[in-house]
Amino acid sequence: MRKVAIYGKGGIGKSTTTQNTVAGLVEMGKRVMVVGCDPKADSTRLLLGGLAQRSVLDTLREEGEDVELADIRAKGFCSSLCVESGGPEPGVGCAGRGIITSINMLEQLGAYDESEQLDYVFYDVLGDVVCGGFAMPIREGKAEEIYIVVSGEMMAMYAANNICKGIQKYAQTGAVRLGGLICNSRKTDNEKELIQALAARLGTHMIHFVPRHNDVQRAEIQRKTVIEWNAACEQADEYRTLARSIEGNKKFVIPKPLSIQELENLLMEFGILGT
Amino acid sequence: MNSDLNLLPSRSTSITEVGAGGGAVVCGKVSLAGSVSQRACVFCGSRVVLYPIADALHVVHGPIGCAAYTWDIRGARSSGPQLFRNSFSTDLQELDVVYGGEAKLERTLNKLIDRHHPKAAFIYSTCIVGLIGDDVGAVCKRVSAAKGIPVLQVQSEGFKGTKKDGYKAACEAVFRLIGTGDTASIGPHSINLLGDFNIAGETWLVREYFERIGVEVVATITGDGRVDDIRRCHGAKLNLVQCAGSMTHLAKRLQDDHGIPFKKVSFFGIEDMAAALYGAAEFFADAVLMERAREIVSGEVARIMPQLRAWRTELEGRKAAIYVGGAFKAFSLVRALRTLGMRTALVGTQTGDKDDYEMLREMCDPGTIIVDDSNPIELAKFCLEQEVDLFIGGVKERPIAYKLGIGFCDHNHERKEALAGFEGMLNFAREVHASVTSPVWNYVPRRARPKSRETTREGNAA
Repeated sequence: MRKVAIYGKGGIGKSTTTQNTVAGLVEMGKRVMVVGCDPKADSTRLLLGGLAQRSVLDTLREEGEDVELADIRAKGFCSSLCVESGGPEPGVGCAGRGIITSINMLEQLGAYDESEQLDYVFYDVLGDVVCGGFAMPIREGKAEEIYIVVSGEMMAMYAANNICKGIQKYAQTGAVRLGGLICNSRKTDNEKELIQALAARLGTHMIHFVPRHNDVQRAEIQRKTVIEWNAACEQADEYRTLARSIEGNKKFVIPKPLSIQELENLLMEFGILGT
Repeated sequence: MNSDLNLLPSRSTSITEVGAGGGAVVCGKVSLAGSVSQRACVFCGSRVVLYPIADALHVVHGPIGCAAYTWDIRGARSSGPQLFRNSFSTDLQELDVVYGGEAKLERTLNKLIDRHHPKAAFIYSTCIVGLIGDDVGAVCKRVSAAKGIPVLQVQSEGFKGTKKDGYKAACEAVFRLIGTGDTASIGPHSINLLGDFNIAGETWLVREYFERIGVEVVATITGDGRVDDIRRCHGAKLNLVQCAGSMTHLAKRLQDDHGIPFKKVSFFGIEDMAAALYGAAEFFADAVLMERAREIVSGEVARIMPQLRAWRTELEGRKAAIYVGGAFKAFSLVRALRTLGMRTALVGTQTGDKDDYEMLREMCDPGTIIVDDSNPIELAKFCLEQEVDLFIGGVKERPIAYKLGIGFCDHNHERKEALAGFEGMLNFAREVHASVTSPVWNYVPRRARPKSRETTREGNAA
């Protein structure tokens, strides 16, 4: 079983990219579980055709200890398995602790057992890793390969670089490695080259450049992944390619984060100088 | 005698020897890592100060341990309600932490207030509440409005400082009660007793002395405390602060906002108890009060002195170690021991300040060790090196003394014997005498090796 976590700046398209990629993998016949690690519990909407999932934490709260796997795990597109950690409303409690509670619960219930015959588990983690709880998927070997969703926008790159610092920290003591950058295009100048250069500096590679296409929004409005919405469209092939790249990926590294100065120099070189 | 126990290097500035010179004792700092401090946490500081308010509900908002380990932590007694001796907790668990504990707190409060009809409620915040950011203040406001009693937040998150910060949080909480009661019937010769916790009924003893000389005691904060008394205590003309460490902050607030002056006093030992009575009489500048104070003091002293003298002959020249929470208690104990012919060889406190340590330096004989925020190794080291016959301290010092084979006198808030006032001095002397002169100490290991004692004495002389 490959254990994958998707990180990236808030609003960069982590959930969308994750679900569309998972759709590509399940279409290939892989058995995949997606674990949403965001209190908003919206990481599996496209695979499930709506916010149909009761979160692990809500279930725990309402049913007490007698929770079964079937109560918190739903079947989505092409038999993908969908779980949402859930968590408190904004401004109360501790969402970070919620993720720890929820992943522990999944382990107790045997969601990762051999008998489940999973090929992949994907963790989709909220953008701002605000405390230790949100780093749970990259600690203790929960996730071993990380993909960072990024675009050519400065703040997205800052966030990616920061996440690399986290991976570097946990890589010292565990198996977690960076698998690559996924560029979710915002159509900024020289975007592909910029992200390729950033990836090279970090010691990794850009595993795929996902072009911007309105079909993604169209599918989202229909509460579907692109592949389910229109299997024949160009964008569906982009996600299939990304899924195949991940399936065949062999490059797992401990990233070398850049200093702020290096990062800004990179932007000057590709962004401003290019215009 | 030299022990083979070593000091942590960074601790040396918080320890001094009387007569050996050196600068001010470094104090008022967060405890050194690696030094197993005898101090408790912020929450514990708040809890011990407030909980003797007998007709209030005391609810610990946090996981169960915080409430369990501070349950009925003082031997504080009440002449009426016993509600304060219960330990109520929201018992926060995993999902309460994830989703926030506000709803559970509100349910808990509503239920408890309906069941027990307290006059007020104190809600203590623990560490986890500080981390998850429950809006305890908002819950208090809602419950207070619904139930019609003061519901007061105590901001006592354990990690936010030292035990002293807990005292301050407690004072702030209780201060919000003050000024809400009717003061019309309060007379001109009126006081509040601050920082006496009615351990083994001590507040009753002391209160009676003041009432006998004609001084009205409006509120006792917090020993045998009542919410209604505290609400009107701003009508008193003078505050007497016994436990300076915990209650000086409240006394200052009362001075600033209500114009009530305060005096730091102590009720331990003949000298200090007498000084407290004379001080009050002097403050009210009333000859009748002063005359009655003299009568009480001379009467009580005459009553207890013969017995004290008898014990003194057997205690003369013996040495004691003192480790207590506040410095004012330490001052009193040094004096009370002197009354019994004993010398203080080691004295330390958890919360003393620079001036307090200067005062101790002046009071104590040369060679006395003074220490701030000590730990078991240091206390053991100095007890051995100073060859003390008695250790006066609290629950955490008791095992240190017994392991070293030293007599112990409990002078902390867990004690069951009243030690304040003239009656308390008699009890104190009886206990000290019985402990120090017990033949059992002749059989403890350090006394069973008279040889080594001889050699060190010579060593010291050389």
